[in-house]
This record gives sequence, C-alpha cells and structure tokens, in this order.
Amino acid sequence: MSHLPANGIWQQCPKCRRNVHRLEWGNLQICPHCGHYLRLSATRRIQQLSEKFQPLPELTAAPPFAFPGYQKKLAQAQQQTGASEAFTAGTATLSDQAFVLGVMDSHFMMGTLNTIVGARLRQAITAAQQQQLPLVLVIASGGARMQEGILSLLQMNTVLAAYDALNAAGNFTLNILTDPTMGGVTASFAFAADAVIAEAGATIGFAGRRVIEETSREPLPPDFQKAASLFEHGQLDAVVARPDLAATLTQLLRLHQRK
Amino acid sequence: MLEEQLKKIRSAQRISAATVIAALTTDFFVLHGDRLQADDPAVTVGYGHFHQQTVLFVGVNRGANLQQRLDYHFGALSPAGYRKVSRGLTQAEKFGWPVVTLINMPGAAADVAAELNGQSQALATTISQMGHLTVPNVALFLGEGESGGALALANCNRIIMLANSLYSVASPEAVQAILKDKQQALANYLPMTADQLKQLGLVDQIIAEDEQLLPHIEQVLQQQLTELGHLSAKQLQQQRTEKYLAILDRFTDQ
Repeated sequence: MSHLPANGIWQQCPKCRRNVHRLEWGNLQICPHCGHYLRLSATRRIQQLSEKFQPLPELTAAPPFAFPGYQKKLAQAQQQTGASEAFTAGTATLSDQAFVLGVMDSHFMMGTLNTIVGARLRQAITAAQQQQLPLVLVIASGGARMQEGILSLLQMNTVLAAYDALNAAGNFTLNILTDPTMGGVTASFAFAADAVIAEAGATIGFAGRRVIEETSREPLPPDFQKAASLFEHGQLDAVVARPDLAATLTQLLRLHQRK
Repeated sequence: MLEEQLKKIRSAQRISAATVIAALTTDFFVLHGDRLQADDPAVTVGYGHFHQQTVLFVGVNRGANLQQRLDYHFGALSPAGYRKVSRGLTQAEKFGWPVVTLINMPGAAADVAAELNGQSQALATTISQMGHLTVPNVALFLGEGESGGALALANCNRIIMLANSLYSVASPEAVQAILKDKQQALANYLPMTADQLKQLGLVDQIIAEDEQLLPHIEQVLQQQLTELGHLSAKQLQQQRTEKYLAILDRFTDQ
C-alpha cells in the first residue's frame, strides 16, 4: 500500500510534469526522467534506512484545544498516511549497527511539531540515552503546528533541552534534513546534532519563502534555502543523494561504534 | 477583544523596554555588537544596578515612531541580535547576575540576510543557553511575543505578563489566516492572553495595567528575583525543565 497522497498507478512528476508509473518511481521514489525526489512516507524512509525496526511504545493524545476543523484534519491525515501522527521512532539496525531511528513524515500535516510529535521526539531521545545508542533523526517539518498554539511552541525548548542532554551524555547524534525542514524545527533541534546532513534538493530554512518575499519585498535567488546553497554557506556537513543515504549512515555509525 | 488588545500593545504609547530599564536601574552599561557581524538596534543588552544587585537586562526595542520602528526593524531581532543576547547571557553567568528579558516583538527577523546569517542557529543557541543558565532568568511580556523569536527570550524560570500582553506560536493574524471562518474569535480556541496562559501554568504572575505600572513592575521583579535567588544553579536548571514538561505532560496520554 502506498502512503503517498496520490494512490493511482500513475503519478505526475511535480517537477517535469511527466506521468510516471508506480514501478518506475520505485522504492526510492525518484523520477526516472528528471531525477526529482518525491517526499517519502515514514514507512518508506524506515525501510530504506534500516534492516530491522522495532517501534517504541506509541504515545498518543487528544487534540489539546477545540480548534475549528483540526479534528477533521487529523482524521484525514491519519487516513491518508496510515500513521497516527507525524513522527515515528524505534530501535533499528543497519549493517549490524544498532541505533534509535526517528522519522518525521511531511504527508502528515506537513510534519508539523505538536504535542505528540514533541513527546515522541523526547521519548526517542531518552531511549537513545538509556540504551546508549546513537540517535538518527530524519527531519521533515513545516515548523510548529498552529492548531496547538503555545503548546507547539514549547516543544522547541523542551525537545532541544532533551537533545542537549543526549549530546552531553556522549551519544552520537545525526540529523538528516529532508524536504522541507523549516521554522521552529530548524530553530531548535534540527542543527543540534554532531553531524547534520541534508538530502539533495531539500529546502531548509527558518522563515518560509513566501513570508520572506512578503516582508522584505526583495527577489530571492533561485537556490535560496536549498541544501546545496546551505552547504556552500557552511551550514551543513554534507548533501547526500537519496540512494546514498543508507551508505553514509552506515559509515557514520561504524565510525562512532563504541568499543 | 483581541483587536483592541493588539492595538493597545502595538501603539506608540505602550510602555517600552527602554522606559522600564531607565526607571528601574542605575549606572546602566550597554553592550554593543555580537563581535562577529553587527550591532542589532532591535535589542538592548546591558547591565545595571537594580535593588543593590547587578542585573542583566535584555530589552526588545519596537520603536515609538515610524523612524524608530524602521531603525529597530519593528523589534524583529536579527541573528546578530540573538548573538548579542547570547554574549550578555555568558557574562551574566560568569558574574552571577540574574537576567530579565523585556518582550514586545513580532518574532525573529524573517528576511534573506537573517537566513544567510544563521537565524536558526542563533535562535537555537539562545533557547538552549537560556534553558541552561545557572543564574535566575525572568521574562516580562510588555506587549506581544510570537514564535521562536519570543520563545528564545522567554525560556525562563518565571514568566510575567502585563495584563494586556500576548504570547503566541505566531501572530494572531497568521493563526487567524488558517481559520476558515474569519469571524471566529481566535483567543476562544487557543490560549494566548495573560489570563489564559496563567491558567495553563505557563505564566506565573500578571501585572495590572494601572497608573502604578512601573512601581508594580519594580515590585514584582524584585520579589521574583529574591525568591529565585534562594535556588542553586542546579535547582534553577531543573525548575525550568520541569515547569515546561509539567504543562506538556498534562496533554499527553500516559
């Protein structure tokens, strides 16, 4: 079962506009014509970056406030993705290396940070600390989820505090920034890792392009907030093509293997 | 309701950080620049005497007239601004001074320069540093405070709000935009007023906005700093973490 919004056999490439068959998209979801990456579901990402994956106990919560239309939006997102929220974490192995893997899913309300996503992030961070394992987060988020107001904002400092504690404990931390990594997530834990790498083509920034255009009324360069541009400006350790991510992850896990 | 409140806190007559600092401190010394790139006029960082002790003040400048507002970038801090704050925090910690932040701002600067100069990093560093401070920190909302830009200055042991001030994930206008029915009263659905946030446990004290505003502010700050002065470095750090987690845990199924 596909976890992407379009469930047909053919899906148009958002970049080159050609119709591509499901088999041609393949597991990596790369356009065979122009090389464009579709955004991956958490399930696919986990498949690509681990051999074994044991999910952590699933934390849940009811919407904290009766924001109009929110309940319906959540139900839609759950139905479309088959996931209960925008973040899934578990203990994983890749090439015999054990680690905690957490994945945000942009198909679920743009991977926005809310009460549950924050709680699960802290749970994953704590699990890595308790089990003395490296932490690997695959980040995809539009930032704080508006519908949960101030509680979404408070995820930033609390997740970052947990992340800081994990770094202080000596665990290796790796963040893989994928499309999109924005707002409150970028301004808190996205860059808190020992190694920060981006998937090629990802948009990464604090304020969204539209907001910047509106407030500053200045033309934006085409590569603005793109992974390659961030790399040139010294903000990232590496930009990695999707088919190479697992190899890069293996390399880093091996280098950080505890004796 | 919210519109009136916004008009009030965004007006030129609203009490400014500069007014509070001038009224409450003596021998105030201002830090300039982030030692890397620029001196952001949107924030004043400095230290002065307040009730027989030296206190670091971080005051956001919103500006009282158009020229000032343009000069101060409407109170939206740039990365250089946050790095200046960070420099102040490091000194406060070194010398054991408590920290008071004065907030009335639309959030952090969102422009090309801010992105290229590492706004995300500057915010994350400030949030983290405020959370780990070994000295007491108190946030006082004089007006509005939004997004990570305000959070970075409000990751404190105590949060105090003037009665009409607001603290929100984004500007009320931005949150309103995602509501289908534009007539719906936003504050009915999301807590963002001083009263609502006090009920939530996030805000510790509300200051009435009467003729005695400055004396009230002085008295409340003095009292809070005295109370926090009894806590050890470790207790201060723990109190911050536990305060926020206690609020969030109430909304998660256990």
